[in-house]
Amino acid sequence: MSRPSINRRTFVTLAGAGTAAAFGIPAYLPRIGEAADTLKIGIVEEYTGVYAGPAENETAGFQMAVDAWNRRGGVMGRKVELVKEDCQNDPGVAAQKAHKLINQDKVAALGGTVNSAVSLSVAGVANSAGMLFIDSGGHSDAVTGASCHWNVFRTCHSTWMETHATGYSLAKKFGKRWFLITPDYAFGHALETGYKDVLAKVGGTIVGNELTPLGTTDFSSYLTKIDAAKPDLVIVLVQGDDYTNCLKQMNQFGLLKKYPVGGPQVEIEPLLGLAPDSRAGYWGIEWYYKSDLTLGKGNTVAHEFVAQSTKQFGKPPTARNCFGYVTIDRMLTGIAEAKSLDAVKIAHAIEGARFTSIFNGPAYYRKEDHQLMWPMWLAQIRPNGTPGDKYDLFDVIDMQPAESIEQTIAEKEKVCKLGYP
Amino acid sequence: MIHDLAPQIFNGLVLGAFYAIVGIGLSLIMNLTGTINMAHGSFMTLAGYLAFTMVSRGTSFWFALIAAPLIAVVVGIVVERTLVRPLYKREPFYSLLMTFGLSLMAEEIYRLIWGANAVPFSPPPGLASAVSLGFMSFPKFRIFIVIVLVIAMIGLALFLTRTRFGLRLRAAVQDTEMIAALGTNTQLLYAVNFGLGIFLAGIAGVLAAGMLGLSPTSGNALLMPAFVTVIIGGMGSLFGSIVGGLLIGMAISLTTLWIPAASEVSMYVLMALVLMVRPRGLFGEEGIFG
Repeated sequence: MSRPSINRRTFVTLAGAGTAAAFGIPAYLPRIGEAADTLKIGIVEEYTGVYAGPAENETAGFQMAVDAWNRRGGVMGRKVELVKEDCQNDPGVAAQKAHKLINQDKVAALGGTVNSAVSLSVAGVANSAGMLFIDSGGHSDAVTGASCHWNVFRTCHSTWMETHATGYSLAKKFGKRWFLITPDYAFGHALETGYKDVLAKVGGTIVGNELTPLGTTDFSSYLTKIDAAKPDLVIVLVQGDDYTNCLKQMNQFGLLKKYPVGGPQVEIEPLLGLAPDSRAGYWGIEWYYKSDLTLGKGNTVAHEFVAQSTKQFGKPPTARNCFGYVTIDRMLTGIAEAKSLDAVKIAHAIEGARFTSIFNGPAYYRKEDHQLMWPMWLAQIRPNGTPGDKYDLFDVIDMQPAESIEQTIAEKEKVCKLGYP
Repeated sequence: MIHDLAPQIFNGLVLGAFYAIVGIGLSLIMNLTGTINMAHGSFMTLAGYLAFTMVSRGTSFWFALIAAPLIAVVVGIVVERTLVRPLYKREPFYSLLMTFGLSLMAEEIYRLIWGANAVPFSPPPGLASAVSLGFMSFPKFRIFIVIVLVIAMIGLALFLTRTRFGLRLRAAVQDTEMIAALGTNTQLLYAVNFGLGIFLAGIAGVLAAGMLGLSPTSGNALLMPAFVTVIIGGMGSLFGSIVGGLLIGMAISLTTLWIPAASEVSMYVLMALVLMVRPRGLFGEEGIFG
């Protein structure tokens, strides 16, 4: 009878495996049936800083799209996983994080961003690595304009779309002498350019333009100049916490009673940071959870998205959730249709393809500049919400089709060269 | 011209008074223990959020204005006792790093508790509107803030010059070893002094929440102007912090009139100019606490 023997080979294997387990070495190896099979998508977001709120909501949207795809069995038979990085609202940090996601985490594609300067930074890194990047929420024209790349797509509206969707009606409604409060970086300057174009076309003037640093807390010294300029309308271009601070202080200075206020976009997140008496104006909006005009009557996908997101996160989704969802949903659709992780193939699969999603009407990422062509809406603020729903702050009154508010292909082709490899 | 100038000067002075009170709190802590409290803004935010929670649960603004800073003081003293005190014997660099880390953690904790978005915190109804001053309409709440700050500064000056404890504090700033040798409990002095600084931060925090806005980052955004205030005014001088605050308030406001985009940088330019002429700051050498 032979004794149960452990030969040298078994011993070495066991000892090696034990040591490896003890010292956590398996973390470096592809975990069988897990890491090797998971499709990783890298996310760069502004989780800290003034855009933390919007960043959180975009991420909720990303996650919902990932969950939906995973429930259907993933993409190309692989489960999808998000790898999230905080860029601290800093384009430099964003570039480092994008490098890390590409080189260390080996992600298949990149998504995210709120701040346009961050979007441009991630777009640059992604381009040099030949990797797909879908900008979910950075609005500056440059992303799908002068700095466009073959590998970069954008879901949210461009600043040109925002200003042209709102500018004409604002001028018609309130007058043509405008006072601008502008955030002093890429996004603010792009909005300013858009409104200057509108004003040139309607024969209006800018009677004051205050460039405020991103993260300004005290707006008083800018606001005290409004009375002297005697504008017909005060246009607020700052966003996030800056928007909240600005509107709150405008109210305290008594300006909201004296001047109409409006602008290219407003989001639910910063409005919730304001007391009802500081919520006012006429704004562009990019999506809304409670209007047939934005969701589309009978669009069950959209209504289900709203219901599920509200249930999952305890509050209704905002435009940011929509950007997040559409971004990842289209990215994964592109990968599934390309049947490849080759960025060029995915980009070709995404561009030009018409689809319906969680908003009213069909849309497509335009082939020439990779801008998502979808409508924008106009809304008036409902300061107190509606009974039983404190989030229901917008009264959506108008819809503008994408083609009427974005620059034409001919105009875009003058500045944007996609430069496919 | 005067028509444009008067509102900016007035607004600048009010803003300056606000920076002064934040600067004084910072200065108190720095003078006695050499601790450069990078978490000062976090204590402001904490008091702001506590006041917000109290007011939204139905307490009055006036109660919250005192109670929230006091709770922040309790947290501050715990922090002093457990985290800051062990570092007193080391170089200021250590406590600077520690409090900096603390401020990052605090920001994240506020985000977890109160959410990443700003929350609505308004002045009480009687102070929410603007009042006409003739040359401009100005928020009543900002005028109220100036009154509170003047009261706080007078109270602090009286405490430091007229009470036994205040005298000991000032003596300790000049020579801690001597006052310890004379039988004063310096550890207690440190704790009370730290608490006093945090109390001022707390008051400023509640006022800032009503005046500016309240989000996890709002206090830290006010930290830099407060440091510049202290450096311009001169370390160790309470009076200097007042002057420093008013000067940078004016600098920011007046720059906005001509070069709005440079308003943020104006205080640093002012600081550089002051440091070139008087490296100790304007009142830095006149003795501790002015």
